[in-house]
Amino acid sequence: MTPSKTKELALKIEDVSIAFGGLKAVDNLSFAIERHEIFGLIGPNGAGKTTIFNCITQFYKADSGSIHFINAKGKETDLMDLSVHEIIDEGIVRTFQNVELIRELSIMDNVLIGAHHVMKQPLLGQLFNRKAIRKDEAESREKAEKILAFLDIEHLKDLIAGSQPYGVQKKVEIARTLMSDPELIILDEPAAGLNDTETKELAMRIKQIRETYQTTILLVEHDMRLVMDICDHICAISFGKRIAVGTPKEIQSNPEVQKAYLGEEGELE
Amino acid sequence: MKKIIKNPYSHFILLGLVLLTLPYLAEAGAIRNSTVTVIGTTIIYTIAALGLNVLLGFSGLISLGTAGFMGLAAYISAYVTETMALPFEVAVMAAIGIPTLLGILVGILSLKFEGIYLGIATLVVAEILREIFINVTPFTGGATGALAGRPVLAGTFQLNRIQTYYLIVVVMVLIFILIHNLTKGHLGRALNAMRGSEAAAQAMGVNIFKYRLIAFGIATVLAAVSGVLYVHYVGLSYPTTWNLMLSLDFLAIIVVGGFRSIFGTFIGSFIIFAMSELFLKPIPALANITPLVKGILIIIFILYYPNGLANIKHQVSHWLVRRKGKRDAFGQTKAEKKNLTRAEVRENDTV
Ligand SMILES: Nc1ncnc2c1ncn2[C@@H]1O[C@H](COP(=O)(O)OP(=O)(O)O)[C@@H](O)[C@H]1O
Ligand SMILES: [Mg+2]
Repeated sequence: MTPSKTKELALKIEDVSIAFGGLKAVDNLSFAIERHEIFGLIGPNGAGKTTIFNCITQFYKADSGSIHFINAKGKETDLMDLSVHEIIDEGIVRTFQNVELIRELSIMDNVLIGAHHVMKQPLLGQLFNRKAIRKDEAESREKAEKILAFLDIEHLKDLIAGSQPYGVQKKVEIARTLMSDPELIILDEPAAGLNDTETKELAMRIKQIRETYQTTILLVEHDMRLVMDICDHICAISFGKRIAVGTPKEIQSNPEVQKAYLGEEGELE
Repeated sequence: MKKIIKNPYSHFILLGLVLLTLPYLAEAGAIRNSTVTVIGTTIIYTIAALGLNVLLGFSGLISLGTAGFMGLAAYISAYVTETMALPFEVAVMAAIGIPTLLGILVGILSLKFEGIYLGIATLVVAEILREIFINVTPFTGGATGALAGRPVLAGTFQLNRIQTYYLIVVVMVLIFILIHNLTKGHLGRALNAMRGSEAAAQAMGVNIFKYRLIAFGIATVLAAVSGVLYVHYVGLSYPTTWNLMLSLDFLAIIVVGGFRSIFGTFIGSFIIFAMSELFLKPIPALANITPLVKGILIIIFILYYPNGLANIKHQVSHWLVRRKGKRDAFGQTKAEKKNLTRAEVRENDTV
């Protein structure tokens, strides 16, 4: 699907920089993401992709620049004003490059954590397990089951997350993001560690998610086939600097990109 | 019927009913009166240990100060009822409220100190409290300790030793139910997330600051309840009681009993306190090696049963299934294993 013709923006990153010691991990980076599109961020290892994700989600505070999110209602928010845990209230949710699950909990409980911010459960109500609490829990469980079914892992819901194969764990992380009613999902290397079949399924899922859950998706991925296949726009970065933004075709044929990124890692398809 | 058996509340109530029969057994001569007292004290310790389990087991935050908070509550309750001659209920509120406020302040510390440093910080707080217990004699009675009577409920019902024991059992069952409610749902997931992956917790909207304070709050409320029950059951409070050894015992209870398990905390408390009181201490030769036995137990559990006794039954059934699985030629093992792990999760959920 092509992005909507009105080209409403969902995320605006302007001149963002962050340095660790002397190292400029992100260097004056700007790009914008349209609502309802799948946007890919590519670049060699250490280019600063995860760092920019961390800046958007406020795990890191950027040294300079601005990061604005425009929600579906058209309200613009300066994300840099928020704390990490407030980001999800804006409808922005992420996964992690090294899967971050609560290993000892069941898959169901892991997914339910995704609804933490939508659940308004006063402590006293929980203490006495009031009816409203039980209802909220039951409804959330139902919602989680639907999401797990959508990802074909509903039958595993009561199993311990930490003992699942990598592919399942990555799905659980995605299920957790869907649980939060997201507007923007940020995926950090969703295909890393997956085999070919799993990667193909993932590509299909990401497109499905965008349609079914009406979200915008920003992803970092090394698997070029996946990126070229599903992304509407791609931003290529190297050493924290932007080298090109465009459609997959434009990126593929961009000589800068080929030199900086693809030259060392292999050819583009 | 099945529903009742499955319902965790009924497990707690059943345990409570069993414990309530002990004074009758003592009266009938089947067990000693002193055994009932030891078990009453064990239940009291279970309550404080459960608080620590919420803190450490669920939230992953260490505290070496449990004994200090428990002692503070004990002294406050003794002071309010004896010196100020105010009603028991007032004493309970003060003795829970003040330590809890302090506990929440320590929770704020936890944002600055991680891991072992938090352990040290909480230990420092407990040691300061112990200095107060020793030196602020008008409040604590200093080295001679503070005395307290049995609870007088609503200003009229003076409880005797056995009735106080009943009160302790009832409070334990109530706390088990309330903590079960708190930890099985929304709050429990948030605390688990905080322990399991702080990054994921934050990304999912868990306010680490808030939940650390809540965790410390719950832990101190339970330590305080435990301290109040202690001083009115045992009748006195010495500064030497509230030392690091006691805080380490609470840690041992959780390690032996099982992280995040309510029943495990009870069993652990039994092994760490009741066993040594009932079986080791009466034998002079063994009395002195009690700490050694506890130490060895902790090492064994950390090495071989990191999930504590609460999980051993799962390991046993796992082992049985695996053995069965070998004989089964129809590929049943996987399904069986799957069912088993499901049951296990459910158990873990409810226990
Ligand atoms: N918290 C941090 N402290 C110091 N250096 C960091 C930190 N996070 C990232 N970096 C550095 O920033 C650069 C970009 O890293 P990263 O964003 O993880 O790259 P990638 O594009 O592979 O995701 C790397 O050189 C990395 O070492
Ligand atoms: Mg990365």
